[in-house]
Amino acid sequence: MAVAKNDILQGTLTLLVLKTLASNKRLHGYAITTHVQRVSGDLLRVEEGSLYPALHRLEQQGWLKAEWGVTEKNREARFYSLTAKGRRQLAVEEDSWARFTEGVGRVLRYV
Amino acid sequence: MPWLRRFVNTIRSSRLQRDIDREIAFHIREREDELRANGLPADEARRRAGRQFGNASVQRERTRDVDTAVLVDALLRNVRLALRGMRRTPGFSAAVVLTLALGIGANSAVFSAIDAVLLRPLPFPDSDRLVQLTQTQPAAGETHVAPIRLRDWNRLNSTFEGIAGYFTSDVVDTSGGLPERVLAARVTRGFFDVLDVRPAVGRTFIAEEHLYAYKGPEAVIVTDRRWRSLSSDRQVLDQPVRIGNASIATIGVMPASFRFPAADVGVWTADEDDAPWGQLRTQTWYTGIGRLKPGVTIEQARADLERVQASLAAQYPDTDRQIGVRLVPLKETVVGSTRPSLWILFGAVSVLLLIACINIAALLLSRAARREQEIVVRYALGGSRASVAAQLLTEAGVLAFVGASVGLAVAVTATRALRLLAPELPRVGEIAIDVRILLYTMACTVVVAIVCGLFPALRSTRHMSVAPASARTTTSTRQSLQWLLVGVQVALSVTLLAGAGLLVRSIDAMSRVETGFHAERVLTLRVSGQYGFETNDATVQRINRLLDGLATYPGVESAAVTSRLPGIREQQEQEFVLSDAAAGPSARVVAANVIVTPDYFRTLHIPILTGDACRRSPDAGGVKTATTEAMVNRRFVERYLGGRSALGVHVTGGLDTLVKNRHIFAAAPSQIVGVVGDAREDGQDREPVPTVYTCFSAPHPAPWYVIRTAGNPVAEAASVRRAIHALEPSRSVYEIAPLESRIEGAYAQNRLRTWLLSLFAMTALALVCAGVYGTLSYTVSLRRREVALRLALGALRRSVVQQLIATSLRIVCLAAACGLVLALLFTRSLSTMLYGVTPTDPATLATVLVLVMVVAGIAAVIPATRAAFMSPMRALREE
Repeated sequence: MAVAKNDILQGTLTLLVLKTLASNKRLHGYAITTHVQRVSGDLLRVEEGSLYPALHRLEQQGWLKAEWGVTEKNREARFYSLTAKGRRQLAVEEDSWARFTEGVGRVLRYV
Repeated sequence: MPWLRRFVNTIRSSRLQRDIDREIAFHIREREDELRANGLPADEARRRAGRQFGNASVQRERTRDVDTAVLVDALLRNVRLALRGMRRTPGFSAAVVLTLALGIGANSAVFSAIDAVLLRPLPFPDSDRLVQLTQTQPAAGETHVAPIRLRDWNRLNSTFEGIAGYFTSDVVDTSGGLPERVLAARVTRGFFDVLDVRPAVGRTFIAEEHLYAYKGPEAVIVTDRRWRSLSSDRQVLDQPVRIGNASIATIGVMPASFRFPAADVGVWTADEDDAPWGQLRTQTWYTGIGRLKPGVTIEQARADLERVQASLAAQYPDTDRQIGVRLVPLKETVVGSTRPSLWILFGAVSVLLLIACINIAALLLSRAARREQEIVVRYALGGSRASVAAQLLTEAGVLAFVGASVGLAVAVTATRALRLLAPELPRVGEIAIDVRILLYTMACTVVVAIVCGLFPALRSTRHMSVAPASARTTTSTRQSLQWLLVGVQVALSVTLLAGAGLLVRSIDAMSRVETGFHAERVLTLRVSGQYGFETNDATVQRINRLLDGLATYPGVESAAVTSRLPGIREQQEQEFVLSDAAAGPSARVVAANVIVTPDYFRTLHIPILTGDACRRSPDAGGVKTATTEAMVNRRFVERYLGGRSALGVHVTGGLDTLVKNRHIFAAAPSQIVGVVGDAREDGQDREPVPTVYTCFSAPHPAPWYVIRTAGNPVAEAASVRRAIHALEPSRSVYEIAPLESRIEGAYAQNRLRTWLLSLFAMTALALVCAGVYGTLSYTVSLRRREVALRLALGALRRSVVQQLIATSLRIVCLAAACGLVLALLFTRSLSTMLYGVTPTDPATLATVLVLVMVVAGIAAVIPATRAAFMSPMRALREE
């Protein structure tokens, strides 16, 4: 397996998690990892260990809701879903991400 | 509410931990499954899944921290550790908790008394504006106020909302089956307005009821207690109170909290201040109370009244020239006498708590030293200094908290005991453990935890940062700190012991004092009687008949009547007019006033020095027609007659109290017929004052009887009571008690104070004893190797013991010297409570020093001996 070159920037993880859960109703931590990896075409890789402190922090902030459930393989897992508050936060994060890339882009385009 | 969830998580931490573990384990297993599906062998898949996840335990910790309140979590962990530590050393912990429980409990109990008695305002609206008013005279000191003068003050001042007055007297309530003595307050117009209290039921007096000319029915206001004892419906207003044989209508009931002017007041009646007997400016019987206008200070009010009195002096130079005004905050008159005692006790109990804290600090310090290994390991594993200090402080905090909780139970018991032991203490019924005391106890606990825990916490963190794990270099400094702590304990306990010693010596000196009379085998009692019930002559005849009957009774040696009991403090000095040929017709003198029957002197064994015992007042005609006779004491003759013979001199004024109580209208002069020895009738601790004994049988309808019995007065009490009942079947005998126990009772507060201070001092001494023992044991345990080596090389066991004891005693000696200086500062505040010793009494202080040295020496003997008699070889091999 190739080592992930593209470490996810601090703060970007929040955006990715929120977005992932916006398009999928209910996911456990492992599924979030694979989703990000798959959808980004292996360009992004979530550092697996640091996902859980982040998930719990988002939960504490009230953006995510978590509950125990059972997977198709009949294993117990903790499933996360987006709250209304989280949805609003996603809009904020997307907006600031857009402005961030726009800003970085302008700097790069400047000769 | 994230913080709430975090808090819940913090408390249910094991469940949280399990959830996180499960969640992460699931992730790793999913990854492992996927890797296996991609064709990796099982063990390789497991290894790689783990590696890919990263440091699982660190992530678990981080996840957990997100979910919990970190500080609370650390605190809880420390508390759990501390509790586990307590369980591991049950003896040590129990000793510490018990010491703290007693220290904190006693402290809270005394503070609750201070709070209820001294700090809280009196239970009247704006009670800080209430003052007591009395008049002063250069010769007589403070006296009651003449009714007419009090009215002048009320009329002419500009700083008071109102001034009123009252006096109290005993009346007999015959409403129930048996006659009952009741304390009645006769009050002037405006009394209830000045205090700003309203009756719970009914009304207070109207202005007309205070007029001499008022012809309407008499009225009485009763206490809540009396109302409840009769019936608790509102019908009370229709029920008359029978006072004597007069039936008086109840017009109001005061609320239960209102007990003024005395805790045992039973009824209030209206006094007429315009009555003819109240118009003399020399007749004084009111105690004044005034309510200041808002914003007026007591100094302004004093200046104002002094101005008023100066104008009265100009108007009535004969009577008012020398009169001064005295204003005291009302609260001060109620509780002022107890203030020094209570603060002294509070100081003592606080010093005791401080000693206990220092003792425990020393204990924790040596325990921390024994746990050096554990602390070193904690540092090695990355514990921060703050976390180690926090843990040690938490340990002290947990001990203090448990101690304080037990201490509250101690305080509740102690306040209950205080109410029983000191029923005479003003406002004692208001003492209770309430929210304020709880807050105070909590504050105490925090201070105790800091004092106890700070030394060990600072000490172990400091030396760790300097030289980790080199125990031997650090022990010497810690040891000197411990001896310093022992020294502080010694110094403080010397102070307490000195105070207690001086109070004990005072009581001892007081009991040795020659009182001038003999109280043993004297029974005291009263027989019910009441103004307005019979004529003056009838009262005299009744009392004389009873005295004659008692004198023939076999168990009675002699019996007499007196207006006041000897040996009990009761300021009764007043002005007399002397008329003898040498001094001119009207020299004014001040003397104590006692009204007695002739056998008083024989009954109390007061010797007659010159002349004869006076004759009994005649059965009829009383004071109006006949001249009564009087006796004076030796001091009276020395002070006022300058060596002349007292016999034949006439003195007027002894029967003024009868005038005041409307018993008679004016008193004739009495002729002095004898001189008696000086007796300490105003208390054992007071020098005898010039005294006039006027011989008259009825100072009061229910005067005190003093009866000298042939045998034990307690045993005779029942038969004396029967004898009186046979002579006076319709009257009740009450307040029957031996004179000795009454005198003892009058000094109960004094003894209680002494007893408590001695108890605190002895406890302090016991703590010092434990402190010396513990610290020397610890020193010995550290120096075990050295002592063993010296013994192995042939040192004498005796010299080892001597040396170890000497080390302790040197420190104790030095500390005791410091304590002596402290004691001299402290005992000065006791000077008003001492009798017969000075605050610097060398004998007491020397005894205290010897006591402390002996106790410290004994405490040092056991560890020193144990060290000297160990087996040197075993001790050396151990290391």
